[in-house]
Amino acid sequence: MNERERSVRGEAVRMEGIVKRFPGVTANAGIDLSLNYGEVHGLLGENGAGKTVLMSVLYGLYRPSEGQIYLEGNPVSIDSPAVAIRAGIGMVHQHFMLVPRLTVADNMVVGWETSRGPFLDRKRIRKRIKELSEQYGLEVDPDSAVEELSVGEQQRVEILKALYRGAEVLILDEPTATLPEQEVEAFFTTIRAMRDEGKAMVFITHKLREALTICDRVTVLRKGEKVGTVPTTDATEAQLAEMMVGREVVFEVQRDRVASEGRPLLQVEGLSAVDDRNVPAVEGVDLTVHDHEILGVAGVQGNGQTELVEAICGLRSAVQGHVMLNGEAVTGSSPRKMAEAGLVHIPEDRHRRGLVLNFSVAENAILGRQYEAPFAIGHVGQSKRAIAGYARELVERFSVVVPGVRTPARALSGGNQQRVILARELDRKPKVIVAAQPTRGLDVAGIEFVWEQLLAMRREGAGILLVSMDLDELMTLADRLVVMYQGKLVGEHRPGETDKQQIGLLMLGGAVETS
Amino acid sequence: MDVLSLDLLVVALRLATPVAFVALGELFSERAGIINIGVEGSALAGALIAGIVAHYSGSAWLALAAAVGIGMLLGFIHAIWCVYLRANHVVAGAAVNILVAGLALFLTVLVWDWRGRSASVVSLDPWILVWLLLVLVVVAQVFLFRTRWGLRLRVVGEHPQAADTAGINVYRTRVAYSVLTGALCGLAGAFLVNNLGRFTAGMVGGRGFIGIAAMVVGNYKPIPAFLAAYLFGFVDALQMRLQDVIPSEISMMLPYVLTVIVLAGFLGKANVPAALGKPYIKEQG
Repeated sequence: MNERERSVRGEAVRMEGIVKRFPGVTANAGIDLSLNYGEVHGLLGENGAGKTVLMSVLYGLYRPSEGQIYLEGNPVSIDSPAVAIRAGIGMVHQHFMLVPRLTVADNMVVGWETSRGPFLDRKRIRKRIKELSEQYGLEVDPDSAVEELSVGEQQRVEILKALYRGAEVLILDEPTATLPEQEVEAFFTTIRAMRDEGKAMVFITHKLREALTICDRVTVLRKGEKVGTVPTTDATEAQLAEMMVGREVVFEVQRDRVASEGRPLLQVEGLSAVDDRNVPAVEGVDLTVHDHEILGVAGVQGNGQTELVEAICGLRSAVQGHVMLNGEAVTGSSPRKMAEAGLVHIPEDRHRRGLVLNFSVAENAILGRQYEAPFAIGHVGQSKRAIAGYARELVERFSVVVPGVRTPARALSGGNQQRVILARELDRKPKVIVAAQPTRGLDVAGIEFVWEQLLAMRREGAGILLVSMDLDELMTLADRLVVMYQGKLVGEHRPGETDKQQIGLLMLGGAVETS
Repeated sequence: MDVLSLDLLVVALRLATPVAFVALGELFSERAGIINIGVEGSALAGALIAGIVAHYSGSAWLALAAAVGIGMLLGFIHAIWCVYLRANHVVAGAAVNILVAGLALFLTVLVWDWRGRSASVVSLDPWILVWLLLVLVVVAQVFLFRTRWGLRLRVVGEHPQAADTAGINVYRTRVAYSVLTGALCGLAGAFLVNNLGRFTAGMVGGRGFIGIAAMVVGNYKPIPAFLAAYLFGFVDALQMRLQDVIPSEISMMLPYVLTVIVLAGFLGKANVPAALGKPYIKEQG
């Protein structure tokens, strides 16, 4: 193909010795990176390795403490995103930079408007968007509001936004993290189209398989330092994982077969619930979780999983149906009653439901048990000492990395925040655990930890309802697997007996195969 | 006497004018993400300075310019507090209100030796400002929804980080529109002085706050905000007529009662800018 064109256009960006210090932390310690036109360059590393910081430096969001950036060989100083945009650099942020209430077109052009005099030239804007979407196969309706779009569509808008501004260098910050598995392939097709156009792309990720699939070269960062750059043609997953983590990583999980006694712990019958807009989201769901069992719920995000979990845990009232815990009806009980009856909840949104970010680790560690002795003294008092002592014990047992239990939860990394939540919930010795996306956004070490904990609870006899978007996770952990599609459960499978494709099809509403 | 007449509609427009100026001003601030309850005080400051400048210079036009100027200064100070010093917007605005209320009593004593009111001063035909208002309302509507600057303003108030990554200077935008808010409040104050021919410390009388309410009822859009302000003006005009029929203590409550009722219906339904009242902190100093 355009091997010649690539070599003609050559190096797009060179970053030399980039150092970025924040008060108390060095996020980037002298990193070199070279990016060519017509290349997809993977930037790999665990959470906190400095990937996003490095790219924020390139996009002008951060000013480097030391180091130099060259664009096509010329030294440049990029001190604001406006400069980066003018230099042809675009960035698709992990958390989309889109205004939900505005239209696709308005979001795409803001700051870089096509206008006639002071007035927006909506006709020409629409035409240009159409041209771009056709060129790259990114279909969007310029006139619909962003809030009506799916995550995948919003990402298309973000990419088009960068292309609209004439980006030749494109930074993609964990673009697949929020993307449903089924849309990843289409997204890769777009990336390949852009590569063939000669764009230079940085693909930030911590998913090894994706890096090997889509990238030409991969640079691995660890704790702010560059470990190395390797061409993907002669790299393996194991090798990259070792570079990332600094030690060998075992991907197989020890899944000793524990025979279930077949005692149902959680029974849900005909459960229906509505979402926040009063639209039916869960429709007549039946499920049973037995002792020593992990029941996986697969599905594309937004098919009622959130509402199902909330309805089971007493956080959302059920329109119809029953929830039974260990044989007792608990439908509509308060979360406190649920927890006392032996059901705990690992919420999908750590920040909204899992922790009070401004509270200390110690306070978070007893949330939901604040009324129990020894944390409470009578009806009013609180024993700071008992709380801190208990929190220290949990921090120790669950190896939470934290300066002290008085540190606010906000200051912890995502993985450590999740450890605090797990510690708090699992230490209640629950019979049933409802875990919603427990590994979302975590790095390799964090995922390993959560998996181990869940399997340990299963070994001890707990029943676990595991809701996840990550099909690999479900295939690894679940004893049985159901798929949720448009509020209903479709099909039940045993991971060993079904392949991923079949389940992927069900997740998209494909025909239910009878076997 | 006929209570309802064409004349009533004209009087209503005049009574609505200061409210609408403030509503329009508040709209620009809030669209940029800044709450400014100091508009009440800013309008009073505009009136006060208009009165003083008219008194000493004898020029009503110079007084008008001074009113706009003091409004801009207060808007600028408010923006510095809210944007750079990250003060609580409501507290900062309340400070302006208290400061100006005190200043009004103090300066009237200094200048006219009367507590809280001025002698009569030269004034313009207030209809000049009414017409100016009508033009500005239409211009604002077009500006906000049809121009590149309006689009940027809306993005700054909804999602400052998105604006920042799109190359828009969030801080500068917020300061600029806060100054514009002050200018419009100054016009509201100048109108009151030109309308009455003198300054009194109670002349704003809650119209600044009602301007904020009108803007919310108008769902952060210029023309609807103007119509909401006009509704207030209409009820105000109506109550003056009704004073012949019912006790004035009761009738004078009407515009305010109306505001409470209408607001109760509209609050929560308005499309409040998502980043309203929240400081934007760039992650790096």
